[in-house]
Amino acid sequence: MYFSELGFISLILAALFAVLTLVLAVIGAWKKRSQYTSSARHGALVVAAFLVLATAALVISFITHDFGVRYVTEHSSRSMPWYYVWAALYGGQEGSLLFWSFSLGLFTSLFVLTYKRAPAVLVPYVIATLMGIQLFLVLMLLTVSNPFVRLTAIPADGVGLNPLLLDPGMLLHPPLLLLGFMSFSLPYAFAVAAMISGHLNSEWLRAIRRWTLASWAIQSAGLLVGAWWAYHVLGWGGYWGWDPVENAALLPWLTSSAFLHSTMVQERRGMLKVWNLFLVIASFALTIFGTFEVRSGLISSVHSFAYSDIGGFFLVFLAVVIVFSTGLFLFRLPRLRPDQEFDSIVSREGVFLLNNFLLLGITFATLWGMLFPLLSSALNKQMMTVGPPFYNGVNGPLFALLILAMGVGPLLAWRRTSTSVIWRNIGVPLVLAALCAIILPLCGITNVLANIAFSICAFTGAAILYELWRGARVRHKHGESYPVAVFMLFKRYRQRYGGYIVHLGLVFLAIGVIASQFFQIQHDVTLKVGQQTEIAGYQLVFLGNLQQEETGKTVVTAQFQIWRDGKLLKYIYPGREVYHKMDQPVSKIEITTFGLNDLYVFLNDWDGPTKVGVRLFMNPLVPLIWYGGGLMLLGGLLCWWPAAQQGSRVRSQRRMSVPEKDEKQSAEVAV
Amino acid sequence: MPSAIAIEETKSIPRRSRRFPVGLLIVGLAILGAVIYLVYANTQASAAYYLTVKELRQCTSCNTRSVRVSGNVQAGSIVKDEKTNTLRFTIVEGGQTLQVVYSGVVPDIFKDGVQVVVEGHYTGSDPFQAQTLLAKCPSKFQTGTPTP
Repeated sequence: MYFSELGFISLILAALFAVLTLVLAVIGAWKKRSQYTSSARHGALVVAAFLVLATAALVISFITHDFGVRYVTEHSSRSMPWYYVWAALYGGQEGSLLFWSFSLGLFTSLFVLTYKRAPAVLVPYVIATLMGIQLFLVLMLLTVSNPFVRLTAIPADGVGLNPLLLDPGMLLHPPLLLLGFMSFSLPYAFAVAAMISGHLNSEWLRAIRRWTLASWAIQSAGLLVGAWWAYHVLGWGGYWGWDPVENAALLPWLTSSAFLHSTMVQERRGMLKVWNLFLVIASFALTIFGTFEVRSGLISSVHSFAYSDIGGFFLVFLAVVIVFSTGLFLFRLPRLRPDQEFDSIVSREGVFLLNNFLLLGITFATLWGMLFPLLSSALNKQMMTVGPPFYNGVNGPLFALLILAMGVGPLLAWRRTSTSVIWRNIGVPLVLAALCAIILPLCGITNVLANIAFSICAFTGAAILYELWRGARVRHKHGESYPVAVFMLFKRYRQRYGGYIVHLGLVFLAIGVIASQFFQIQHDVTLKVGQQTEIAGYQLVFLGNLQQEETGKTVVTAQFQIWRDGKLLKYIYPGREVYHKMDQPVSKIEITTFGLNDLYVFLNDWDGPTKVGVRLFMNPLVPLIWYGGGLMLLGGLLCWWPAAQQGSRVRSQRRMSVPEKDEKQSAEVAV
Repeated sequence: MPSAIAIEETKSIPRRSRRFPVGLLIVGLAILGAVIYLVYANTQASAAYYLTVKELRQCTSCNTRSVRVSGNVQAGSIVKDEKTNTLRFTIVEGGQTLQVVYSGVVPDIFKDGVQVVVEGHYTGSDPFQAQTLLAKCPSKFQTGTPTP
């Protein structure tokens, strides 16, 4: 018996147990019998266990090089290092679907193991919803997208993974995005549970806040690693190309970012209930839409996946999700009246809503760009496409407004803020931003748009740091030293200050994006041995090409020296590897960071040992994108990190009281 | 600041007539307007036709607007001019052929038989002046990053 057969049997058992668990959970919810719900909880764990088994079976098939399994043959070979053999698990469609199912199993188990934190009424509904999603995935795995299909003739070696995927990025980017996508199922399951059971107070929201935060953080990490990978491997000098596949991953990130803000408004003031439900449902629907869009081959992309018929199934699933959610939504609409009303737009909740409008605006624009080929061919009988200039033109200004709102929001109080308080809070950052706007042209940055964008970043960055400083000063006056004061601020108001860290990270990221967008220098040049070229004050001297035959690949390496002001700084070796089996070259790009600027050298072309064509970029401040992104993840982690262990009742009381203290503190600060 | 008790009261007593959040509505409409304007203006400015070779031949407005054409590279048609660093090749699609001239970075996987997308302006006669050249990976190898 092969491991792949074992895997297939595990999948069948997982499907059967998923059905059983679904039925038990529904009975438990319907009859309000806790023993059924308890059985359902155990059933969910059994389903997860079988999925772990199935995934393990595929991993073992890979590691033992069982080329009788078609998926293993198509995605690995004997010459691949073991860690890429492992990564080949999600290197193709069937495997990534299995990995999805596996990660949903993990998330379900996490929920089951911590079910006491969630309102008891919701638990059976949540399990039932998760099982519904799981059942869909497992049925896909058993029928149209089976990773365990065996070949009749067993080949001696596999085809191997596409060389572009043989990169450290492969070990992180796909699993993070797959995990991120799947993790949106949990908030969705809670939303469905809240709608069916009618428990639409803010309890369910509090239960999913941390789940959504986790999804958001995983998704952020996935997007960031994806950008880093593209920057290091693809050779066009950029990190984000507004490709339909990138956009598909960005959309749920945008809606979940919006949700994380508007949920605070519901918790604090009992408003925006309809809106929050909509955002949770939209985030999940967008992940399914993304999968459909990517797999259907409907929209052309540089990420070309194997076109397959599973796209159609995802479309049907998407339709089911939308119809089901909308039905429930309309059914519960009468009970979603706000507890309170808006007092003023000049308030914390006002800015949160503004932020939501902007994020949804960006979501809409991005979706529009993705669907434009389909819309135009349906309406105009003529397919048209839009490229990066469209996305930059629309989303650039919207992101700038978003960052501005990010600076203003935390300075405003809930309900309403008096004009005098606004000026007192906003004065210092405003002056700093104005200074930035004046100084930049003196430093030679005369581009007006770039200046506005940088000044907005300066405003928001200053506002965040000023807020932090004022908080520390208040504590300092009560006798704490400044470092202790800052530490205590983070300790006591972790979510608030964690949020500031996320914002600060986004400001840094934005500065990197603006700088590289406006001030990237590109230089294409052909050189002979001994000739040199110059970019942004750095001289590059070409020394010659080297061609080496390695096992399974030919490697061409060009050698350069980098000089500046008569000093030799570094030798670099941009190159190209041609894998014989794949007949596809992969670039080895040389990125040298000087301060905060990247010198990016891409070997374009070569002719024998003495002639080379290179494309050079000077990418200013790009490292800030990675630092800023790291800061965002750190902030997300700070917000997510569980509070010190106490009894659950005490915890919920504490949750109620923390915002009050928070408010007092900011009132104190405002005085 | 109104006392917290007042807030609690609004919950229990029947709803008063709704106050209309005028400021919110104005800001919301402004953002909606801005989004619609930005989407409209940028679509107008940067939308490119996606045509087959046959449609391209009949296109009358293709010299003013950017056009995308896809097809397979005809075997043996790739000619490289070292001096001017330009690339000439022919793409085939639906039985029709189109000559293309391109200068710039050539994608790694560009070779005979590969499916490519070229973008540029078409003056009505060959060759097609491509500003960008995209090559699609042969789907046989299931290439590209396997994000979901």
